[in-house]
Amino acid sequence: MRAALALFLSLLLGLAPAGTAGAQSRLDYPARAGGTGTALTINGALDTPLIAPLLEDFHHRNPDIALRYDNLTTLAVYSDFLDDETDPRPDVVLSSAMPWQYRLANDGYAQPLESPAARAWPEWARWRHELFAITFEPVVIVYRRELAERFGAVTSHAGLLDLLTEHRQALEGRVVTYDPTLSGAGYSYAIEEARLSPRYWELVAALGSVDTALVGTTREMLEGLAAGRYLLGYNLLGSYARDFVSSHPGLEIAVPDDYALVTQRLAFIPRDAPHPRAARRFLDYLLSEAGQRAISELTTLGAIHPALDGPGTANALRERLGDALRPIRIGPGLLATLDRLKREALLARWTREFRRGTIGAAAPQETTPP
Amino acid sequence: MSATHSLYRRLATWLLLPLLGLGTLMLVQAYLSARDAADRAFDRLLEASSLAIAEQVKWQDDQLWLDLPPAALAMLATDAQERVFYALYDDRDNFITGNARLPGLTASDDTALHYGDIRWHGMALRLGVRASRLEGWSQRERFEVRVAHTREGRDRLALSLFAGSLGRIAIMALLAVAVVLLAVRAALAPLTRLRRAIRGRDPRTLAPLALELPRELAELRETLNDLLARMRRVRANQERFVGDASHQLRTPLAGLSARAELALRQDDPQAWRAALEAIQSASARTARLAVQLLSLTRLNNPEATPAPACLDLVETARSATRHALAACHRRGIDLGLEAPDDAVMIDGIDWQLEEALNNLIDNAQRYGARRITVRVGALPPTLEVEDDGPGIPAEQRLLMLRPFHRGAETGDGSGLGLAIVDGIARTHHARLTLAEGHGGRGLRATLLFLGDRE
Repeated sequence: MRAALALFLSLLLGLAPAGTAGAQSRLDYPARAGGTGTALTINGALDTPLIAPLLEDFHHRNPDIALRYDNLTTLAVYSDFLDDETDPRPDVVLSSAMPWQYRLANDGYAQPLESPAARAWPEWARWRHELFAITFEPVVIVYRRELAERFGAVTSHAGLLDLLTEHRQALEGRVVTYDPTLSGAGYSYAIEEARLSPRYWELVAALGSVDTALVGTTREMLEGLAAGRYLLGYNLLGSYARDFVSSHPGLEIAVPDDYALVTQRLAFIPRDAPHPRAARRFLDYLLSEAGQRAISELTTLGAIHPALDGPGTANALRERLGDALRPIRIGPGLLATLDRLKREALLARWTREFRRGTIGAAAPQETTPP
Repeated sequence: MSATHSLYRRLATWLLLPLLGLGTLMLVQAYLSARDAADRAFDRLLEASSLAIAEQVKWQDDQLWLDLPPAALAMLATDAQERVFYALYDDRDNFITGNARLPGLTASDDTALHYGDIRWHGMALRLGVRASRLEGWSQRERFEVRVAHTREGRDRLALSLFAGSLGRIAIMALLAVAVVLLAVRAALAPLTRLRRAIRGRDPRTLAPLALELPRELAELRETLNDLLARMRRVRANQERFVGDASHQLRTPLAGLSARAELALRQDDPQAWRAALEAIQSASARTARLAVQLLSLTRLNNPEATPAPACLDLVETARSATRHALAACHRRGIDLGLEAPDDAVMIDGIDWQLEEALNNLIDNAQRYGARRITVRVGALPPTLEVEDDGPGIPAEQRLLMLRPFHRGAETGDGSGLGLAIVDGIARTHHARLTLAEGHGGRGLRATLLFLGDRE
């Protein structure tokens, strides 16, 4: 039974932290002399290059706290947390797998944080005072410049759908996206998009019609785009893409302006945290203006803090895209994402629609709308 | 006993304590009904959510299938951000899907939906269980949808409803307390008026109170007025008595003084001796008068009256006769006692009865009786003294009972004897009657003891 569950989990969340080939999986910051020696253990699904500046900044401000950061897959974050044997027990749990994080908090594993920063935290970016969204990462489209030169820039889902239906031949096999059956992130984007609009299924069919490549991670998509294998990638995690695109001038990044999903990394302090005081200080730091400024300036993760409006913040994105932003709601709806039957039903539908597109491509006269 | 110190406080306490109890009951009831109302309101969410889920249950791939609508879960979480749980079970209680293995509820009736409060992993949950079945062509499989959430929203609503009724109850309680206090004060106002009227009176006056009062207090006023009237009579009596007494004492004292003055003017020792003898007998009479005045005062003083005790009338009569025997013998008077062999028991004060007998015997010998008979009767108990003296004319007999009224001016009595006897008779609930003696001569004084029959 446990093995079956583990298999299921690995199917559901079977992605390594997106694009972490060779990334260091553990960071240690010893307490400076005179510190209490409290060792704060943070379990996170956030690549070490992205979190290291934050940990350094926090450590610089709180030299008395020794830090230990373990970078795990979202699946490992969840299963390690539920495994009583895990040693040391984490003081802070941080993951982008929103449904899993929500489920742990819903089941009563989180303890509340009652600090001024926590109380001031935006209503939509927290659940009770137990679960806090600390980043704001849009899901984006990345394409090669030559695609924009030939067919014009892609700035929306509607534009993408038109592009896919009008230039099917040119794009055959040159589009890439998440495989929802392999990737937890891909699955949760699919379920959110299906909820947003029934036209999503047209898009899936269109993706199927150009024989879209299905992969498991954002990293694979980015590398394929950089290598020229793909012209366009759909549904990439913006925080990783921004970093990558900045060093690859041949690529362009677009946050769709009709609707853009936004994922958030959720953090909580477990009820059984061995060092709750230090954990509260760390989470408080992540919610503070200073911590959020570090997130927006030192990393490509978007900051949420309402007082910040520089590049890479939720406010800046809002100003540009307004109502089109669709942050995934931190609420019981996330539990539906985790439902076994729901997942099977959605994936069955997804595969069906995708195949319909493939078959439609073989006999275009049948499916092309009049 | 502080409650007895103030009628106001006592009334207020007896009215406010039940009011307090009533208020407490109302609070408890308000809390329970607030909780109930909140549960009813929030149970709608469980109902809607379980219905939304049940509608999505179908038969697929030879098993129960659910396409969980996220809205069904979202509606379970209100602004209070409740924790949300759901589960789908088949009719053999096998877990199909869900985020928690929620327990079932034992159905008490046939309704499709049941609610229950459960504790689950340390959380207080409100659970709704909907029993339903597939409505397919061939499949009529039964299943159960169980949804639950934590109670924060319910508690918050219950608290705000309770706070609302708390305000109303508090206002009502304040009004009730104010009304009770005012009512008690108003009801007791006549009492204050009465007190002021009594306190404001001239302490020397015994005039009746004339004051408009409610019925209950009017009775008190009438009682007070009766008491005042009695006191007025008593005082009139006392004033007359004091006047009479000083008059009675002044006459013999003036006589003594005149006699002594007369004797001093003479040189004859014989005359001195005669004067001294006269003075001695007059002073003895005066002393006797003083003694009788004292005993009359004692009789009239209700506070000095000892408690009556059981005594034998025969014994009392015998003792009085024995005392008087010597004096009578000296004067050559025949004193006799007629008494039954058995004791005659009554409740009375022995020294008073002896005094009464002494007075009657003394009176008889002073007014010239030759023969005196003391008689004790058993049924009804009586004491009787009969003599063969001159007697008292019938029309004067009642007057004889007033102090200082003497029948024959010639006698040497003080005029107090019969008044004393009458006083003693009244303290013993006895009736004093004066009648003619045997053969129409002399006087027969009878004390008839009525006991409780009066």
